[in-house]
Amino acid sequence: MADIRQNDIESRSAPRDEDGSASVSRLAWVSSGLGLLLFLGSVGVLGYEGVTRGSGPPVITAVVEAVVPAGPRWLAHIQVTNDGGKTGAKVQVEGQLMAGDEALETATAEFDYVPAGSEQKGGLFFDRDPRAHTLRLRVLGYVEP
Amino acid sequence: MDITRQRSFLHDEAQFARALARASAGAIIFALPLLMTMEMWELGFYMDRFRLALFILVTLPVLFGLSYFAGFEETFCWQDDLIDALSAFAVGFLMSAALLTVFAIVRLDQPLPEIIGKIALQSVPASIGAMLARKQLGQQDDADRERRIRSSYPGELFLMGAGALFVGFNVAPTEEMILISYKMSPWHAVALAVLSLGLLHIFVYTVGFAGQESAGDDGFLSVFLRFSVAGYGIALLISLYLLWTFERIAGLSMMELVTATVVLGFPSALGAATARLIV
Repeated sequence: MADIRQNDIESRSAPRDEDGSASVSRLAWVSSGLGLLLFLGSVGVLGYEGVTRGSGPPVITAVVEAVVPAGPRWLAHIQVTNDGGKTGAKVQVEGQLMAGDEALETATAEFDYVPAGSEQKGGLFFDRDPRAHTLRLRVLGYVEP
Repeated sequence: MDITRQRSFLHDEAQFARALARASAGAIIFALPLLMTMEMWELGFYMDRFRLALFILVTLPVLFGLSYFAGFEETFCWQDDLIDALSAFAVGFLMSAALLTVFAIVRLDQPLPEIIGKIALQSVPASIGAMLARKQLGQQDDADRERRIRSSYPGELFLMGAGALFVGFNVAPTEEMILISYKMSPWHAVALAVLSLGLLHIFVYTVGFAGQESAGDDGFLSVFLRFSVAGYGIALLISLYLLWTFERIAGLSMMELVTATVVLGFPSALGAATARLIV
């Protein structure tokens, strides 16, 4: 890079002819500088992510965010979070409305992907109001992508 | 050198702006199939970070070489080629970012590494497309440049490699590569390898490198070994590298690995053979 700059300074002092300016145009500097920035930036972010992100299995948890009426039924908004090192695919989440030890109702949802370090949202439908019962959420399993 | 540098487009603001616009069009057109491929979005966030970083690193020398042989504008020294390669990466990255955002594949509420991963992976074909825009959308190479490229054997091999990478990359991320190899028997694989090599040779011989002078000077065996066999070898190596990059070969037996490489080697070989048409 220093070589180019040197060259640029040299050519700037050189006489110009009708063919155009002798120095590299400002637009070329801007676009190639931006390219260098994006190049180093993406390699840097990916490298940093590769170093800091563990290589352990997916650790996926699910929580209920809110319960709202949905037509004649009830909808529980859920959010799954993957704190592990790898992405889980086809992540199945099961929600059960419990009355004591007995499950009154079961609903499931499947997430295509829960990438490592990210959150995904979904919902479970129930006939009964989940707020009147205990809602037990379980992440059942995943496959490696 | 200053005299030749003055002739280059990139010393003229308006000319360079036109070249950038053409590069943007090339980035969109060439990367469109991959921008609209589901596996590419998914690979962007789940593929191994180091393999993706390495893939981005490999892209820059490829862009540099493509600029030397056929950039989106005429270049006359290596500094110009470096500027063009970096500009093509910028164009490819920004076009990928814009289109993935419009497609709602990239959203601001996603974690930064996920966003960067998706865009960076797409920027590889997009920046190569930006670099190829001149040949496809702009004016043709002049005779001197053609001669310079044709006279250099390493240059020919590089172009075949770049063609194999570009065409192979267009299908490598899809599930079908592995699915096809599961369906094939070893005899199917042998037949496909023979077919790939045969087509590669026919393309090289008729539309490729040996079209003019070489055909007269060199015998069949020389062209076959120097271009067709060498080109198929490059295509297979690049196929294996792509399969490894996209984590398609983990857990495969040796037989399945070879079959999958031969399957991807087919489009790669055709890419290598037609590199002179594309590049």
